[in-house]
Amino acid sequence: MDLSFWILQFLNAMQYSMLLFLLSIGLTVIFGLLHFVNLAHASLYMMGAYIGISVAAMTGSFWAAFFLAPMFVTLIGAVLYFTLIDRMRTAGPMNQVLVTFGLIFVFLDLVRMGWGDIALGLDGPASLSGTTRLLGVDYPAYRLFIIALGLGVMATMWLVLARTQIGAMIRASVENTNMAAALGINVSKLFFLVFCFGCALAGLAGVAAAPILSATTTMGITILIPTLIVVVIGGLGSLEGAIVGSVIIGFMETFGAVMIPSFSAVLTYALLAVVLIWRPQGLIPARG
Amino acid sequence: MFYQTKLRSITLIAALIFLACYASFGSYFAREIVVEIIILAILAISLDLCAGFGGMVSLCHGAMMGVAAYGFAIMSAKLGWPLFPSALIGLFAAVVFSGLVGWVTSRTNGIFFIMATLAFGQMAYTFFFKSRWLGGDDGFGGISRFDLSMIGLETNDSLVFTYIGLVILLLAYGLTAIVMRSGFGRTLSGIHVNEDRMKALGVNTAAHRAKAMAFSGFIAGLAGIIAAQHTLYISPELLIWTTSGEALIVVILGGLGTLVGPIIGAILLVLMKHEISNYTDYWHAFIGLVLIFTVLAGGRGVFGQIEYWFNKLTQKHQSTTKPHGDDHA
Amino acid sequence: MVTTMLEVKSLSKDFGGLQVIHDLSLSVTPGERRVILGPNGAGKTTLFHLLAGTLKPSNGEIFLDGQPISTYDAVKRARLGIARSYQKNNLFETLTIRENLMLAAAAALGKSTHMFKDTSKHADIRQRIDEIAEQVFLEDQLDQTVATASYGNRRQLEVGLALATRPKLLLMDEPTSGVGPNMIDRFHRLLEQLPRDITVLIIEHDMDLAFGVADLITVLNFGEKVFEGTPTDTRGNATVRDIYLGTGGDHA
Repeated sequence: MDLSFWILQFLNAMQYSMLLFLLSIGLTVIFGLLHFVNLAHASLYMMGAYIGISVAAMTGSFWAAFFLAPMFVTLIGAVLYFTLIDRMRTAGPMNQVLVTFGLIFVFLDLVRMGWGDIALGLDGPASLSGTTRLLGVDYPAYRLFIIALGLGVMATMWLVLARTQIGAMIRASVENTNMAAALGINVSKLFFLVFCFGCALAGLAGVAAAPILSATTTMGITILIPTLIVVVIGGLGSLEGAIVGSVIIGFMETFGAVMIPSFSAVLTYALLAVVLIWRPQGLIPARG
Repeated sequence: MFYQTKLRSITLIAALIFLACYASFGSYFAREIVVEIIILAILAISLDLCAGFGGMVSLCHGAMMGVAAYGFAIMSAKLGWPLFPSALIGLFAAVVFSGLVGWVTSRTNGIFFIMATLAFGQMAYTFFFKSRWLGGDDGFGGISRFDLSMIGLETNDSLVFTYIGLVILLLAYGLTAIVMRSGFGRTLSGIHVNEDRMKALGVNTAAHRAKAMAFSGFIAGLAGIIAAQHTLYISPELLIWTTSGEALIVVILGGLGTLVGPIIGAILLVLMKHEISNYTDYWHAFIGLVLIFTVLAGGRGVFGQIEYWFNKLTQKHQSTTKPHGDDHA
Repeated sequence: MVTTMLEVKSLSKDFGGLQVIHDLSLSVTPGERRVILGPNGAGKTTLFHLLAGTLKPSNGEIFLDGQPISTYDAVKRARLGIARSYQKNNLFETLTIRENLMLAAAAALGKSTHMFKDTSKHADIRQRIDEIAEQVFLEDQLDQTVATASYGNRRQLEVGLALATRPKLLLMDEPTSGVGPNMIDRFHRLLEQLPRDITVLIIEHDMDLAFGVADLITVLNFGEKVFEGTPTDTRGNATVRDIYLGTGGDHA
């Protein structure tokens, strides 16, 4: 195996990591702020893919799908927030898991009703259809676009959280919600905005993944477990944790699959077990 | 804390009689449904003892059941051991696996416990899924049922097999009920309510929780042995986390922390599934909505809600007849 | 021959540089009633944490009945006979008072790991529940759920849970905290009726009660022992009076 093979694997790992990042960042920030574990987060990712496919079919434009699908998913998220999420916030982890597990079932059948059981593809934009020569290998331009998208979101979020007032509010509320409320932050409005933002990113991840993975009814449940692992390894509620976790899992699964295929699947779970035993609060905990 | 009340005994017996009648007067298909209910009910009882009494909401109960099923199937079908010792090995494997998971997770609570058990369950699932020797995701067959011909029972007869299943369900319930009434079970409830005070009273709560998981693994293992003998075939599907999720649905639907509730929940869920799939393909959405509704309605579940009303009624009655009744069942 | 039930040798505890207990030595004889006095922040509750094993000391040693226990965790110390009642109720809220006592009795009698016999069918557990209920005046409230019981009853149960383990050493952290005058009388009687084979350490703010039950009084201030003596000596001691008058009567 020559160098170009490893560069290829590196780029694959980066692309998978960025997809995981887009999903886990929403999930983790929602947990950090609302103390809510939304198992249906990955169902919103699936909705993003399917809605994107429909929008693209109607408008004939990938970019229309790319921008509209996250908006529709945000709308779904807003409805969920007011019907279920908000009233489940203090109901304890078991009830949250149950309700969002129920939502997984509901979304699964919604997709089957609307789009059927067969896998659907989505054509990427024509401008990104070819390959690009990078580091001596030919790599699909669209996959590079996903890497760039993930890095772009990462950088933006970093800036927003570190430099802006709303970022400071979010950090303060993750640190101590009561204190934040006492300081005059409108906590419930902030919760709602952050939840919608997390949903938008899940929708974005869905529509971005559709040209590579194609949309299936199981795509949500397939990516849910690695996303949860990323969030727990990184530290629930932590932005840095989500970044580190996504990269670790993305690289471990990609390189594990080519280097030690028979063992790689168990490896991720073993890593999670080790983290849970030695650092149950995650590698980079959100608080103290 | 657990009490075997009259209401619970009556409901239990009624449920068992209903299942026996459903199997006896129904078709072969009806018996398949009853066996499906039995397996799910035993698994849910096992989960109820962890989640309802110990406060340990586990998402690895499917794996606990599957480890027993695989253990039994490997010993009997792959290595040619006799059936009964193989079943014991399967149960033992489930106890060891559950005890280990319980030990490792004994210091985690809430969402961390849920995530940790989810991960360990998926680890076991992935292990069998990837194992070529065990047929990977296809699993393997060649499993046979217990030979009970010396006591005149033909287990390959679907009705006989169903009756045996019902007896095992009753045994699983009885054993769990006895243990939940014991010092061990009551202390488990105490740990759930206030772990710190339990420690201050001199109870090693981490070890206690691990033991509870191990015992729960034994009960879940019974479901696994029945599942393997039922279809004479085994696949990793048994271990996947959604199986555990389904068991959790059953517990909530029937009534958390009641032990009878899980049986009622299993009957409701399986019958709903089959009834609805006669009319529509989309039974998932229906189950999902029922689950959401159950939680929003207070999370007592069907049997739990009935018990709640019944207790309110009898308490009102008691307070008018004997003011300081100490019958706190 | 052991003449001390509890021996504390130069015990210290600091939280990140802040000394909460400093070089504290104590010696309590078997059966003694020792009252710990001191203003808020004197380190009284911290001392109890260190004795019960819920905090690790920075320095020093603890002996129970001659046995070094400094390295043992809270569970092991509880098993060796240290019981504790808390300043803030720390009960099994959703259970009945009987069930609360049942858990404590089962733990103390080594029956919390019995898997098959119904707890309520153990004669010794039932007997223990009745005894303790009588000791803490809760015979008529046994089947009440803790969450719905009166505050005073809950304070009594708090002590009852500790007593149910039949401890050698009982640590009572402000048993009368928040209760009215009638209740204080009741606690006074309760303390007087406690069998003498139990050694008792009490943190108490009610002076009448403290001076009434104490054999010896230890006064702490800023984590150090500033005085130790009989109730009569304590009453006449200038340092003690200074501490209490100086802090503006925060114990009122």
